[in-house]
Amino acid sequence: MEITHKRLNRVDLLSVGGRLDAMSAPQFKAKIDELFDQGRYRVVLDLAGLEYVASPGLRVLIEARKRARDWKITDLEGGDVRIANLPPRIKEVFDLTGFTSLFEIYSDTTEAVGSF
Amino acid sequence: METRTVPAVLESLALISEFITGATTNAGLDDHAAWQVQLAVDEAATNIIQHGYDPLTPGMIELGWRIESGQLVVTLRDYGRRFNPEHVPPPDISSPLEERQAGGLGLFLMSRLMDGVRFDFDDEHGNLLTMTKRIAGASEWAYVIELSGRLDAVHTQEAVGRVNHAVAEGARNILLDLSEVTFMSSSGLRALLLVRKDLLARGGELRLCNLQPHVYEVFSLTGFTQVFAIHPSREDALQAFGHR
Repeated sequence: MEITHKRLNRVDLLSVGGRLDAMSAPQFKAKIDELFDQGRYRVVLDLAGLEYVASPGLRVLIEARKRARDWKITDLEGGDVRIANLPPRIKEVFDLTGFTSLFEIYSDTTEAVGSF
Repeated sequence: METRTVPAVLESLALISEFITGATTNAGLDDHAAWQVQLAVDEAATNIIQHGYDPLTPGMIELGWRIESGQLVVTLRDYGRRFNPEHVPPPDISSPLEERQAGGLGLFLMSRLMDGVRFDFDDEHGNLLTMTKRIAGASEWAYVIELSGRLDAVHTQEAVGRVNHAVAEGARNILLDLSEVTFMSSSGLRALLLVRKDLLARGGELRLCNLQPHVYEVFSLTGFTQVFAIHPSREDALQAFGHR
């Protein structure tokens, strides 16, 4: 798994590529926790390069979104983990597990970043 | 059957994937089906590694695969804690984020990605997980089950048990060879009707062959020759699968 991080003005963009499985999930979780620990709760995950996802990766995603949404500035404004670019195989896993309706999913990073 | 034994640690997942690539290539699965098998086995192995053994003293996972009756059969054996799938509630995939539990997804995915998933356990042989994937283009494949003796209330249950076992392993086309069946009662008929209904609901077929004259008479007297697909020989029946 490869993660590249880009800090934008209000949002952090993480591009995740390769395999997100039991082996790499802890590294992925550590990267997200690092952002949260800095008070950065607006995160876009660009999954365009993600080739494979298994349930330990899904678990990190769900826990991350829960944590981000607990952080609120006002009732209308706060943290979130949003997704851009879902490759077909990854979307299939999302569909099977009901994740498609658990996340806000955008067709590109500009749209996802702009949604905040 | 091809086998391979690996230590139950996360570092083995790549070796397991390589072993399964051999299986899916031999079975001639397309890319999509091969990925489904890879993910299901990955989930199964991860569960054994993370929950089956004590992390300080990991044991081994014995992997195997074979091709049987038009399907790829993959097995994983471990000697860790007894696994009972009934103790893992299926995730509610329609619940909102706040209530959504992050566990149980691996087992759920396995059942969705494979055609058959079965767990067995005994003290001597540990946990045995058997997963099957039908090989596309093999719809003409059928399980042949030979029944014998009296198909009455008692003995039909045993026959139904064998059919259910085959279905749990992924069989959808089932041929019952009744050449050794000497007697058929109305409860036997009723049980076969239920088996037929279950297979049809799963997209499969039930066919019967080699009925002795007085067994055939029970079917014709009750009008069930119109309901069941009855064939004079095994060859004839096997050719009929997939040509409804």
